Amino acid sequence: MKHFTKTAAAAVLGLGLGTAAVAQELYVPNLAYRTGPFAATGIPLMNGQADYFTMLNERDGGIGGVPVNAAECETGYSTEKGVECYEKVKSDALVTQPWSTGITLQVLPKTNVDEIPILAPGYGFSPMADGTVFQWAFNMPAGYWDAASMIVQHMESEGDLDGKKVAFLHLDHPFGKEPLPILEKLAGEKGFELLPIPVGLKEMQNQSAQWLQIRRERPDYVVMWGWGAMNAGAITEAVKTKYPMENFIGVWWAGHDADLRLVGEDGAGYKSISWSFPNADAPVMRDIQELVIDAGLSETNPEEASGVFYSRGVVISAILGEAIRTAQEEYGTAEISAPQLRWGLENINMTEERITELGLDGMVPPFSTSCANHTGHSGGWMLEWDGEKFIKASDLMTANQDDYQDLIAEKAQEYASSNAPWPTNEECSATN
Amino acid sequence: MLYDYLIAPFVDMAAAPDFLLQVLWEGLVSGILYALIALGFVLIFRSSRIFNFAQGIMVVFAALTLVGLHAMGIPAWISVGLTLAVMFVLAVTIERVVLRPLVGQPDIILFMATIGITLFLIGFGEIIFGGENKVMISDELGIPTGDTVLEPFGGLLILQHLDITVVVVATLLVAALLAFLNYTQMGRAIRALGDDHQAALSVGISLQTIWVLVWFIAGIIALVTGIAWGARAGVSFALEVIAYKALPVLMLGGLESITGAIVGGLMIGMLEKLFEIYWGQPFLGGNTETWFAFVLALIVLLFRPQGLFGERIIERV
Repeated sequence: MKHFTKTAAAAVLGLGLGTAAVAQELYVPNLAYRTGPFAATGIPLMNGQADYFTMLNERDGGIGGVPVNAAECETGYSTEKGVECYEKVKSDALVTQPWSTGITLQVLPKTNVDEIPILAPGYGFSPMADGTVFQWAFNMPAGYWDAASMIVQHMESEGDLDGKKVAFLHLDHPFGKEPLPILEKLAGEKGFELLPIPVGLKEMQNQSAQWLQIRRERPDYVVMWGWGAMNAGAITEAVKTKYPMENFIGVWWAGHDADLRLVGEDGAGYKSISWSFPNADAPVMRDIQELVIDAGLSETNPEEASGVFYSRGVVISAILGEAIRTAQEEYGTAEISAPQLRWGLENINMTEERITELGLDGMVPPFSTSCANHTGHSGGWMLEWDGEKFIKASDLMTANQDDYQDLIAEKAQEYASSNAPWPTNEECSATN
Repeated sequence: MLYDYLIAPFVDMAAAPDFLLQVLWEGLVSGILYALIALGFVLIFRSSRIFNFAQGIMVVFAALTLVGLHAMGIPAWISVGLTLAVMFVLAVTIERVVLRPLVGQPDIILFMATIGITLFLIGFGEIIFGGENKVMISDELGIPTGDTVLEPFGGLLILQHLDITVVVVATLLVAALLAFLNYTQMGRAIRALGDDHQAALSVGISLQTIWVLVWFIAGIIALVTGIAWGARAGVSFALEVIAYKALPVLMLGGLESITGAIVGGLMIGMLEKLFEIYWGQPFLGGNTETWFAFVLALIVLLFRPQGLFGERIIERV
């Protein structure tokens, strides 16, 4: 009994010390999904994110000398579980990463109360770009309306769109419907016919009806807002239907190497707009290889690590790391708070020089944020599947912000009004 | 207005008969796969009155086991044999660990137990195989790729060799199952258990053996279904949702009827495709396949609560 008491006391002491140690960290939890129907696309992203922070911890002892704790809370891409995860992690978190448009929409109103930023890189509710209304939400480096604008630009570069038909194949989910307002607006302006084709969650793997419609309608282009198993289903059906792959363009979440590997050469020509690109020669990737993968600290594999999604995970963590660094410099402390990180997220300045300093050469376009601009509007590259891998098929493209700037302000105000009382950033409104 | 809804779709069908044939073919392929999954449910329900919620995850588990074994360097057809062995071990384990201790419990308890099996297999599968999308070993199994292009009525009909193979294999499997159930002692024992549990037990039919057998047969069906769906769009846990497509098939055909599963599967496969193409997409914005089959099944239930081929339940009070 005496022995037991001593052991218990030691354990309690150990726990106490452990708790004290845990406080000396930058806690940036990730609402990850490594399980469920979307796991195939979630895993490489989560691995890339985790490996970047592990590399920083190993190489630099964290950021500003404080280790980063990027622990994951598994959501399975379920909105309900995502909200539970948010509630579970928020007490100590500097930021939360919801990793689903559905979860983002659910936790968005909570951010004003909890005063913790949410980071939704390249996804979420597009009007979050308006930082004067959505003070705590960020979706840099680019949003869905940027993607829609760039895809339309790409199609236009191949010829006048007047009189053409564009099928919009999308997941029947908040994520899939996000670009509709912009695509409808641009269809009216440029004279093309937009044909929305929804894909239900239970039909992701069996899209023969959708592709029969595409065969019947003979659209000039198919634009895809797909995710998870939907992408593989669509790409295999496109090959089966003999749709010209060069006219099939996906959003950045529909540019996953593993989905294209299913069809290999038959998928050559398929395109995906992207704000990230895998560059195995970039210094950051070499450091990850040496300090994380070779050291056995990673869950990735060589095939995955060379792909678009893994490198995108790396870029996302690098952006968050830069925001932390920016906040640390501004406030003169390594152990920043959530509101201080918000300032950091609002003051990122990723110039070409800074991208090179961070070792991210060629992996992300330059962008900057401000208190009014929470998206950054980085632009992106049109990637193309060459039968084995994605290659850059364009120079850096940028969205035409005139396409959606008014709509962002309008929808942001609409959201604020329907969720009144909704606090806005008066200070920022006054300076911008 | 009425012309648009009632006449125009048929005019469209007549105007492009080659396209109608393509729609029916795609519906047939989907339908036969729905029927296969429904058969797995029916076999287990007939013999044990258990609604097997785990049928969907068994499809994923079987397909992942096959791909996983092959990835370890085991030749494709040996991997198929080993996967069948794994499914047999799974059937024995489920019978011993889950079902046997619950004999005599209400049906809802057994149903909940199959939900438990589902959750276990999801977790276990993710630990063993990971959640990444995997490529089905179609070439290694000799499943033909490519297509045959026909020109009926001067139009275009594309028949994927994979789809033709699926239809042929599924038809053979169903025929073999029917032969097994009708002409073998074990098959008759399964049917006897379905007809009258107590009477079957009283003549010495072993409940445990039959349960292992039907779960193993459900495992075989799961493997064939997993290969067929996996060859189309890869193998991942997303395949599990395919099983939900079998629910309206069961409602339509009846939970106890093998004929009902087959006819129901084919009906739903083809009707939902026809409705989606000729009514859903032009008038309702598409994506009607998510609900059409359930509405059809509910309409049938209004008139025949036991389904088209189910047995009428008469309870004396």
